[in-house]
Amino acid sequence: MRIELTSGVHLNVLPTTKFKTTRLAVHFIAPADPTTYAARTLLTSVLETSSATYPTQADLSAALETLYGANFGIGVAKDGATHRVTATLDVVDSALVEQPLLAAACQFLGEVLMRPLLVAGGFDPAVVARERHNLVEYLNSLDEDRQLQASLAAQALYFTGDAAQATPSFGLAADVAALDGAALMAAYRQLMTVDQVEIVVLGDVQPAAVTDLIAGLGLTPRNPQPLTLTVDRPQTARVQTRVETAAVNQAKLDQCYHAAVDLYGPQYYPALVAVELFGGSPLSFLFTDVREKASLAYYASATLDPFRHLMMVQTGIDGADADRVRALIAAQLTKVQSGDFSDDRLQAIKDGLLNGRQIAYDSPRFLARQGLLHGLIAAHQMAYEDYAARVQAVTKADVQAAAASLVLQADYLLTDKEAN
Amino acid sequence: MRQAYPEVSETLITHTLANGLRVLIVPKPDFHETYAQFAVDYGGIDTRYVPLGGTEMVQDPEGIAHFLEHKLFEKADHDAFDLFGATGASANAFTGATTTAYLFSTSQAVAQNLTTLLDFVQDPYFTAQTVAKEKGIIGQEIQMYQDAPGWRLYYGILGNLYPEHPVAHDVTGTLASIDQITPEALHTAYRTFYQPSNMTLTLVGPVEPDAIIALIEANQAAKTFAPATPITRGVAFDGAIDAILPYRALTLPVVRPKSAVGLKGQRDLAGDVAGTRYQVAVRLLLEMLFGDSSPLYQQWYDAGLIDDSFDYDFQVARTFNYVTFAGDTADPQALSDAIVTVLARGGDQPSLTEDRFARLKRAGLGKYYQSLNSLERMAGQLSAQSFTAVNAFELADLMRAVTLDELRAIATELFDLQAVSVCHVLPEVTA
Repeated sequence: MRIELTSGVHLNVLPTTKFKTTRLAVHFIAPADPTTYAARTLLTSVLETSSATYPTQADLSAALETLYGANFGIGVAKDGATHRVTATLDVVDSALVEQPLLAAACQFLGEVLMRPLLVAGGFDPAVVARERHNLVEYLNSLDEDRQLQASLAAQALYFTGDAAQATPSFGLAADVAALDGAALMAAYRQLMTVDQVEIVVLGDVQPAAVTDLIAGLGLTPRNPQPLTLTVDRPQTARVQTRVETAAVNQAKLDQCYHAAVDLYGPQYYPALVAVELFGGSPLSFLFTDVREKASLAYYASATLDPFRHLMMVQTGIDGADADRVRALIAAQLTKVQSGDFSDDRLQAIKDGLLNGRQIAYDSPRFLARQGLLHGLIAAHQMAYEDYAARVQAVTKADVQAAAASLVLQADYLLTDKEAN
Repeated sequence: MRQAYPEVSETLITHTLANGLRVLIVPKPDFHETYAQFAVDYGGIDTRYVPLGGTEMVQDPEGIAHFLEHKLFEKADHDAFDLFGATGASANAFTGATTTAYLFSTSQAVAQNLTTLLDFVQDPYFTAQTVAKEKGIIGQEIQMYQDAPGWRLYYGILGNLYPEHPVAHDVTGTLASIDQITPEALHTAYRTFYQPSNMTLTLVGPVEPDAIIALIEANQAAKTFAPATPITRGVAFDGAIDAILPYRALTLPVVRPKSAVGLKGQRDLAGDVAGTRYQVAVRLLLEMLFGDSSPLYQQWYDAGLIDDSFDYDFQVARTFNYVTFAGDTADPQALSDAIVTVLARGGDQPSLTEDRFARLKRAGLGKYYQSLNSLERMAGQLSAQSFTAVNAFELADLMRAVTLDELRAIATELFDLQAVSVCHVLPEVTA
């Protein structure tokens, strides 16, 4: 059930008795603007650790403990050309603890989102300073995760010149360091008055009761500009390359490919199957031939981001093998393009996709995400049967054509100094 | 045996086969997924043992249990991954300090996948050539972990606490140790530990328990096993405090320093009700003292001593148990000093108040219910506890029964400064 509570504020209720929890997610969605990422991220830290009613982190945690250990978090993410701030609360089902918890859960969300801790009309400077410091330190330490470092660097290389996509959803440390209280308040006002709001509630709930409770949050009407979800970078003949060195034992070779794909249209399902066959599963060519047969990588996989017309390949390798790995990856893609795979293998890949999809329906997180996508994209199908029929209809020729559209655009290597 | 647990709306069917294999089934009729886990009471620490039929202890190279896990998938003419994959199922495996587990997840062809699981784990195939090739893959895995500073800190503190116990070494082994692994050593370890009587098969999903048990019975009846033989293990409980290294610092290419404090448990926590209750109590105790609603956490957070990377954990397994505290911090010495100062108070802890205790028990109960949403987690908990006396569906009662006085008594006993060690990860100083 999807209803507009007020202009620009939508509620999506997904009643189910299957789970031991109720999930509430409040999404504030805006066109991706890289100049706002840092402020929106710092805002999540400030809102997550203080509110007028619960001024300290200890107070907030105590409130969640009283709600039978409810899980709460606020984060940022990008879906294609949009940026969102999402608050999520998972609360145990009222029947299990013989106490009605939904009203209290909504009340908690209201305290945190709608009644922040303010001092003289601005966020508490002490909280802002502390959270800004922590966030800068955290962002500066992200490169300690080499896999993440390589993945972000490869995306930045691919999206050179497109700051909205080249910048990670959480912003840059330097931008966070430069934020003041006014910038943070501007970001908060944007959430409260401009962003499109999508609320998803999933669990053993009555839609009418949920509607009343969520309306009680007091989100005000707004007129958000219509969202464009997809990003399509023009394909170029030149492959951008970059090699960086760091003190690593295992090198990371990541690549970005342009993919001709649409959202849930005729190109979508063939691309899904082609990428799965190329590098998405343990039955894929990257796994069986690069990792297992050639023993050249501990991990080697490909993922499709249809919102950004992007396929990413990520590998962990010995830096000295980089050229061999590049050649092997290209050879695997050629196999998919030229149809060098059996019908049985194709069917197993499809079965794997369907199996994984069906199992995902056992996850509240997945179902709530589907609720959001369904709200944002008219063509998005929530039902498994529709998805299964479309995947099964993909032919070998479809897969070859989809693979032929995958064109290498960026190649990033993070390696140690000796190997280079 | 069929046991209903109305409080959590679950039913657990347990069955032990003639060959000693334990089977646990939880029917979940409204789910699509069936998750199965075939676990062995054998893990990274089990490098010393008397081989089946032998009399002398052998010492295996570190990493052998994990190597064996990798190698079991590969057969003469196929890879077991592909058999699962052919039905659309996904398969995986993991090796812990004291267990190895093989698993699949599927929405279709449960019987076929279950047969594959039983058959590939019970049909070892190791050759010199395939063993040599696996060293390349596992070598990459080892190198990857070497690049993870959090992992280095964790094994740094374990190395301090356990200079003479293999839990201090990662289950993957080292490049040098895996190089020593031979097909013969794999076969010997396999024969000794992969006896059905040392294994548990757990299934959670929309399955018909009687049909599943009949399938497993028939599958096992068609195979020949050596008689179930008790295993003589050469690794004993380590609660010794005299060998603990009190401090070590590692210099790594990190941006933020990291601080860890380890506390070695000196009481062997058997898997009986008392031992499980002790574990529940320790987790509550840590939450009360160091959790994010504690006065200390707030004080440390506001002072910039910790950020939300701060965490603590209590690990309990066959032959060891320990508490770890770790976090990123600008001043690793100040953080470890602050933690040690709290431990030094023993049972005299001002934050052990009745109202927070009641609230944290309530939160613990809610988190426990939440954890049962995940079939993987449910199966994992049931399987881990199949080698002990208390199953995962009985934890709520234990949680309710624990008292605040019990927590104080445990703090007095467990918080022994002689059992404490500190490890820091410091950034490299660039010239």
